[in-house]
Amino acid sequence: MPARPEDTERRLDVIAGGLLLVFALGWTGAVWLTVPEGYGVGPRAFPFWLGVALAVLSALLLAKGLRGSYAPEAPDAEDLPRAAVPILLRLGLVAAVCGIIAGYGVLMQKIGFVPATVLTVAGTLVFVLGERRPLVVGGMALGIALGAWLAFGQVLGAYMPRGTWISLF
Amino acid sequence: MDLLLAAAQVALAPAALLAVVAGTLLGVVFGAIPGLTFTVAMALVVPMSFSLDTAPAIGLLLGTYIGGMTGGSVSAILVGIPGTPSAAATVLDGYQLTRRGKASLALGTAVVASAFGGIVSLIVMVVSVDMVAKLALRFGPAETFGLLLFGLSTICGLAQKSLVKGLISGILGLLVMTIGIDEMEGVQRLTFGTIVLQQGVSLLVAMIALFAVPHVIDAFVKYYTGERKVEAVADVRAELPTIRDILRDFWLMLRCALLGTGIGAIPGTGGPIAAFLAYAHARKSSKRPERFGKGEMAGVVAPETANNAVTGGAMIPLLSLGIPGDPATAILLSGLLIHGLIPGPMLFLQNPGEIYQIYLAIIVAYIAVVAIQLLGIRFFVQVLRVPAHLLAVGIIIMCAYGAFAIRNSVFDVVSVGVLGAMAYGLTRVGIPLTPIILGLVLGPSIEREFRTAMILSEGDPSVFVASIPGAVFLGLAALVVGAQVLRAARATLSARRTEEKSRASVTPSE
Repeated sequence: MPARPEDTERRLDVIAGGLLLVFALGWTGAVWLTVPEGYGVGPRAFPFWLGVALAVLSALLLAKGLRGSYAPEAPDAEDLPRAAVPILLRLGLVAAVCGIIAGYGVLMQKIGFVPATVLTVAGTLVFVLGERRPLVVGGMALGIALGAWLAFGQVLGAYMPRGTWISLF
Repeated sequence: MDLLLAAAQVALAPAALLAVVAGTLLGVVFGAIPGLTFTVAMALVVPMSFSLDTAPAIGLLLGTYIGGMTGGSVSAILVGIPGTPSAAATVLDGYQLTRRGKASLALGTAVVASAFGGIVSLIVMVVSVDMVAKLALRFGPAETFGLLLFGLSTICGLAQKSLVKGLISGILGLLVMTIGIDEMEGVQRLTFGTIVLQQGVSLLVAMIALFAVPHVIDAFVKYYTGERKVEAVADVRAELPTIRDILRDFWLMLRCALLGTGIGAIPGTGGPIAAFLAYAHARKSSKRPERFGKGEMAGVVAPETANNAVTGGAMIPLLSLGIPGDPATAILLSGLLIHGLIPGPMLFLQNPGEIYQIYLAIIVAYIAVVAIQLLGIRFFVQVLRVPAHLLAVGIIIMCAYGAFAIRNSVFDVVSVGVLGAMAYGLTRVGIPLTPIILGLVLGPSIEREFRTAMILSEGDPSVFVASIPGAVFLGLAALVVGAQVLRAARATLSARRTEEKSRASVTPSE
């Protein structure tokens, strides 16, 4: 039997409530241990009580997910049925995008803006999106890199990293 | 008058004009692309405005905001998909007009209606913003705290499906902003001894991560699941409606403009709500309601006037009280902060010239929108043909470089990647992102005002209800949350009832 949407919602609520509860407790503990109380409403009060509030709310969410009832939802225009995506593919893509951004940041500093951009765009197109047409890959990589260099660096006069390993431009 | 002239000199200088036009163009293009909203465009534009002077920077941001609000109608009319949520109501009749071969006239009418709505809301804003600010000037820390709390509670409560999730989201935003050095006592909070965290989490890094990165991930996921299609866009141009057409709908436009301005002024509402209310109003007040949904021009005029009027309405609490009502104005706020303009009642005393610059930039942006749509629509609809996953690659570059440009820090770029992945996770479990951003924006002020009030009252919490405005704001905040709790409880009850009913009707063979 395919999972009903309300079952999916229940499962997601359990996951979210559980993870947030762990985070909230960790946060509150860390605040209690590391932030001095101060005088009156000191530096500790806000982070501490916000952590407590988050813990309570995520416990509520968890409780609802574990025992609450979920009405079979009327299809809503806003969240049309999402296509079933294998969880591994989704996680893989999330990790890929996160990695591309972080890697690009480091690369930009090491080899300079333009080479880093060319490599990142071409790499993303070929390895993540499976694009094989050389004209699309080359055109987009060079186009985006030079366009961004021109717009940000030359027109707006923003600082462009030049690269600490090699410095082409 | 001198102030206005001086402001005009700055706001109408070539660089500033160019910035407004560039922003408008960017906004129209981002707004027109379904899935890419002008909020994404604004998050990407803010870091770019760093190196600019104040006037061009304001112009760039306002242009993106206004262009984006208008651009959403382009894809709504041409391909039947709203480019931004605010244009969803425009689809109903706009797309039908395209199918009847009146795309050009529909586009032109939408532009005129948009500009009309925007300008009317600007006038209302100019008149009311000063009064509200004068009133707010009398507020002490206790009243300001109440006001901020009320603003935040409407956003967490009103606009979200689940109160608990809305509150969780708002609190997450508030939590994150407590990281860094405490500004009142100079104590390090949760920096774990690192230097990079001492300044706290950069608002701009958070905004790029929250709005742009999930969009990129989504585009990639859709690419893999095959939910991609290249839209067939016909060759179009925008055709201006005749004066008679405009006069026929003049009163409707005026009513919808005022409606949109009013809705926009309430934090936590925004374009989509205003557009649908205006559409419903147009149909109800029409002499031929049966033609709505089949290609009635008034069905395009009403939502487009209203959603653009939201821009002026949303500026009222933003400029006079420092409370942004939606993500777009929150980003606008952070952009103003970068340039030393602190929205709130003091802005009117300290930077009256900049206020005029803001007004002028809005007017220029509307002129630019009309010009761009009339002259350039043939060219930029071509962007609609670029597949979403390829656009996403370009957006990755803009996200990363934008984050870098904030303070030339690779740490910020890495943060965008990590926070963006987390933000995507939150959207997956149904936690809305808008309250987070408002928690981030309002968090530091809420804490500062609360602690200042407590210091002034020597630790007596009754100070928050001691004055009438303070008590009213806290009461309203309690009312908003209380009403939502009631509604949630009622929904749970009815859910339990339907579940029992469905359980009773299920055959035992299951």
